[in-house]
Amino acid sequence: MKPGRPGKSYDIHRLPPVWNALLHLFAGGFAFVCIFPFVFVVILSFTDENALLMYGYRIVPEQWSTQAYTYLFKTGDQLFRSYGVTILITVIGTLLSVCMTTLYAYALSRSNFKYRKFFTFFAFFTMLFGGGLVPTYIVVAQMLQLKDTLWALILPMAMNAFHIIVLRTFLQTMVPNPIIESGKIDGASEFRILFRLVVPISLPGIATIALFCTLSYWNDWFNALLYIDSGHLVPLQSLLMRIEQSMQFIISNSALLNSGQSREMLQSLPQETTRMAMVVLATGPIVFAYPFFQRYFIQGLTIGAVKD
Amino acid sequence: MFNKKWIIGLALVILAASVLAACSSGNGSNGGNQGTEPKASKGAQNEGEKENEKPVNLIWYTIGTPPNDLKKVNDELNAYILPKINATVEMRMLDWGDYSQKMQVTIASGEPYDIAFTSSWANDYFANAKKGAFYELDALLQEKGQGILQALNPAFLEGTKVNGHHYGLPTNKELPQQRVFRFNKTMLDKNGLDISGVRTIQDLAPILKAFQEKEPTIPPIPAKIAEFLPYDLPINDLPFIGMPLDTTDYKLINVWETPEAMRYLETMHEYYKAGYLPKDVATQTDAGDYFKTGKWLLDVADAQPYADNLWSSDAGYEVVSVPMHDPIAFNWSVAGAMQAINAKSKHPDKAMEFLNLLYTDPYVINLIDYGIENVHYTKTGDQSKDSIPDSGYGFPAFTVGNLMLTYLNTGDPADKWEKFKAFNDSATNSPLLGFQVDTTNITTELANLKNAKEATYNSLFSGTLDPKENLPKVNQKLKDNGLDKVMQEVQRQIDEWRANQK
Repeated sequence: MKPGRPGKSYDIHRLPPVWNALLHLFAGGFAFVCIFPFVFVVILSFTDENALLMYGYRIVPEQWSTQAYTYLFKTGDQLFRSYGVTILITVIGTLLSVCMTTLYAYALSRSNFKYRKFFTFFAFFTMLFGGGLVPTYIVVAQMLQLKDTLWALILPMAMNAFHIIVLRTFLQTMVPNPIIESGKIDGASEFRILFRLVVPISLPGIATIALFCTLSYWNDWFNALLYIDSGHLVPLQSLLMRIEQSMQFIISNSALLNSGQSREMLQSLPQETTRMAMVVLATGPIVFAYPFFQRYFIQGLTIGAVKD
Repeated sequence: MFNKKWIIGLALVILAASVLAACSSGNGSNGGNQGTEPKASKGAQNEGEKENEKPVNLIWYTIGTPPNDLKKVNDELNAYILPKINATVEMRMLDWGDYSQKMQVTIASGEPYDIAFTSSWANDYFANAKKGAFYELDALLQEKGQGILQALNPAFLEGTKVNGHHYGLPTNKELPQQRVFRFNKTMLDKNGLDISGVRTIQDLAPILKAFQEKEPTIPPIPAKIAEFLPYDLPINDLPFIGMPLDTTDYKLINVWETPEAMRYLETMHEYYKAGYLPKDVATQTDAGDYFKTGKWLLDVADAQPYADNLWSSDAGYEVVSVPMHDPIAFNWSVAGAMQAINAKSKHPDKAMEFLNLLYTDPYVINLIDYGIENVHYTKTGDQSKDSIPDSGYGFPAFTVGNLMLTYLNTGDPADKWEKFKAFNDSATNSPLLGFQVDTTNITTELANLKNAKEATYNSLFSGTLDPKENLPKVNQKLKDNGLDKVMQEVQRQIDEWRANQK
């Protein structure tokens, strides 16, 4: 290849500088739009409550303050309990869910499994038709007696038909049959094949599912709304939702607003900056889940493993 | 390497599962006993007291943010009521925003409970009563609820009848609605403004003008204010189907077609144009922040006796109000807070006995509303108390029982509850008090009308839109969405209801 101009080497992998700059600008702008609201929430959580009331939301607040955080750390028994509950259900839920999903999906991916069609449909059917809210509630709360237990937060989300289908497809396409056969030739049992051969090379798929599970467990509030009555089992997102919904409720019931009744409701809500601080504390840790799962995405490549 | 990891992972799952199982089996067995059936061992404990009757455990759902010390207060309550009515209560408080949805599921799934909070604005009383979710109380009230009948103003029970029967017990609190203009006294004094003689929205013009000249940076009306038009509204969400309060022929009209409505909206629009309201008032979702900053002159609120004191102590500066009309008892104001008994409750008589205590026993109601003496509040006089700040207990007192038996705050005037009684007695009944619309035949039209209303309601009633131009359009839109059919149907029901009453 000839250099385009003398003195300047031309790299075919590079975009023209103008395009390069434009695309960078576009991507950078988009990234900024995505991240700005969160940065703003962080700033607001460090704003002085009175300054917020007097001057409204400011990017550079009139007065900085760590009031909201000191308040939370002093009185936030509930917050830290909820932290514990969320972390517990996220860890246990993810492990359990990944385990069950992988086993189910692996069975479906094996072409010599006799009832493959039936069990695929069995899972797929639940994607199309759900039981509805009240029957689900009756099953969980009354038949299984899970009300007010941690299991009510874990089990309803432990199996997800969508995850099964995704992982089954991944296993079918990414795990070459000859690898399984080679295991058989060497005399490996089914379990050994699964854990020593299939799982290592399908880590990217499993990690994806694990990431999905982690996020959905971390962000789940609806199960808690339905099944949890006692304060010491309320997860973090549910705690935030309660505050949010109570706010909405008071605003939308403006007929009650300003009467003796809404007074008592408003007094029970945390202040604006405190709410922002809670959002920061609730979202912060889950950000670290991404780099944790990231490293699995590049492992387990099967290129060159099989020569057809 | 992977093998090791997997084994550890699996081991963790299994370990966690077994730990959790242990927890949940403990909880599960508790859950089983939370039913209405009394626990066997509990029965054994109290056999000495009443040999033939086992104590009953009542499950009571009520609204409010659950306080930390709920359990403590609940235990104290049980210790007191067990010898009295041979029953215990399990208080389950659900947060404001969750309450309606959670109760809906609870009721629909047939989950056992005995008593539940209900009202016109959360866990809809009228809908549930019509569905048959609540126990019919007529006979029980006579039998076990004499204390309640004595405590309550008859209009309370009259206004909450559904199909001629009682299904819920209203809190004994302010019964009528009285809308007031509320003023920031600091601002009034500072600028030498006089509010005597104010009664209607039009009377405010000179005050607002003078205020704007002196304080041009502060919008005198900081948020959308609730309107008052002299009509009784049979359907809460649709404030245009109304009956004049002084009606004699009981004919419904479209309120938004009346000259009063036009005049009100024109005044609001004038005020908006003059800059008395913030520019973005129609889309504001502010829950009263201006109250904290003190940068406002006037808004609208619903009053009760000595409400000015209440507001002033909240705000930290003096707040005064002038009424727009005499107190009127509406259906929705009467059903502002009630307790009902589950239709499937196994012990409705015990539930009624407990509710009766809430209306007659000062100890019980003060315990529930304010907590334990010297832990959550201290008494400062025979009938007054000071709450201890951050004590870990708080309960929305207006949601339950007889408010007139509760202790006053130290600063309150001693005749507060007498004033409440007088306020309740002074109320005129709205023409439709006790009438409930049956919406089964008109649900589609109602939903359409509601959507049509929501589209412009806030911008019209905050004065943002010019009513001359827009109100006729809105009225036409309402007509297109089946207003006439709904009015006919409701009118028919009203005629029927009146015929039955005679």
